[in-house]
Amino acid sequence: MEPDTQLVQLCLKGDSSAWEDLVRRHTRRVYGLCYRFTSSRHEAEDLTQEVFLRVFRTLGSYNAIHGGFATWMTSLTRNLLIDHYRRTKRDRLTDSMDDAMPELEEKPAAGRRPDQIALLGELSRQVQQALGKLSPELREAVILRDLQGLDYQEIQTALQVPEGTVKSRINRGRIELARVLEQMGVRAQ
Amino acid sequence: MELTRLNWNCAMTEDRLSDYLDGLLNAEERGAFESHRNGCEACAALVERVSGVVQNLHALPAVVEPPHLVYAILDATIGPRKVKEGWRAWFRWLRPVWQPQFAYGALTVLVTFGVLSHALGVQWQKPTLADLTPAAMVRNVNRHAHLAYARSSKFVSDLRIVYEIQTRLRPETEPEPEPAHTPAPGQSNGPAPREPHDTNRVNQMSHGFAETAVLFEQLVPRRLP
Repeated sequence: MEPDTQLVQLCLKGDSSAWEDLVRRHTRRVYGLCYRFTSSRHEAEDLTQEVFLRVFRTLGSYNAIHGGFATWMTSLTRNLLIDHYRRTKRDRLTDSMDDAMPELEEKPAAGRRPDQIALLGELSRQVQQALGKLSPELREAVILRDLQGLDYQEIQTALQVPEGTVKSRINRGRIELARVLEQMGVRAQ
Repeated sequence: MELTRLNWNCAMTEDRLSDYLDGLLNAEERGAFESHRNGCEACAALVERVSGVVQNLHALPAVVEPPHLVYAILDATIGPRKVKEGWRAWFRWLRPVWQPQFAYGALTVLVTFGVLSHALGVQWQKPTLADLTPAAMVRNVNRHAHLAYARSSKFVSDLRIVYEIQTRLRPETEPEPEPAHTPAPGQSNGPAPREPHDTNRVNQMSHGFAETAVLFEQLVPRRLP
């Protein structure tokens, strides 16, 4: 049995430390998805909290047969993000980032030099700007595939769309993102 | 129908680009894709651009959530956690003091205070009220300043003597005979020939030793306590 499934079962029995473990295991992924989609740290924080509140309330409805816990959470997060996008569409005057980039994960094992880390930070900011110019459908497909590392099947489950649609969105999203980055003067490194 | 470069077009390259990058094309499709790409400048540029972007996206590290977020989620779901009580709770107010920044700051203040009090002539072994009067402080500062000046000028003077001794004792190297050579076109004949007194080293060395002996006589009493 997967560790997440075991933790869910313990949570359902009222084990609060299991819930804490579950929150710690998935906060970064959910926050990353929310931030990459909204380009706002504050909105990402609020949405992440909202996702976990919803997960806490509906944990009993999770069924491991229908997919992994991470995919289930991604699906839930994606639904909230789309709701949030539709709700705030009228309020959104510009698609620029409203605050500074959050920190990026440091991986000591990667052995990156400080200048490489700085370059990655700059690239991350530019990618974030470019993602904001994509339509929500293409944006979520690229984020899930290339930034969250989900495979096609998991994306299909999370988005609840046919495989052909997933492939088409990922392909169009990548081509569009490359075009926007080229317009911004960003070259592949 | 067999897929070849001839029946694979640019629209197909664009449609199947992600399949190609993610390794989802079969051998026949891959061959036709690559064959078309190699012969089409526009498609080659597109493949290179999108492939570079995908590689960049995969290289990006994850964004890090703010540290308070996990606690905010836990507070919002299972309520605030119990604060650990016990004898440690009594020393909770000391937590900021344990920070390294505070320790560095305190150490700096302590050292500065020590230096200043030494300069002001405060004797901490035998503290007296008289040490803290402005007149005594000014006198002590004046005394320390004069002492420091005297020591530094003595040190500079000693250094100068040592330097002079070293200069005079340094063996002077004889100039090596220059190999005869013919100057290249457009070059001069080299430096002018030396004057006779430049080559007479014997007299100079004897003068140098005499002066060194005098300087040693000056230096030795200075080093005695």
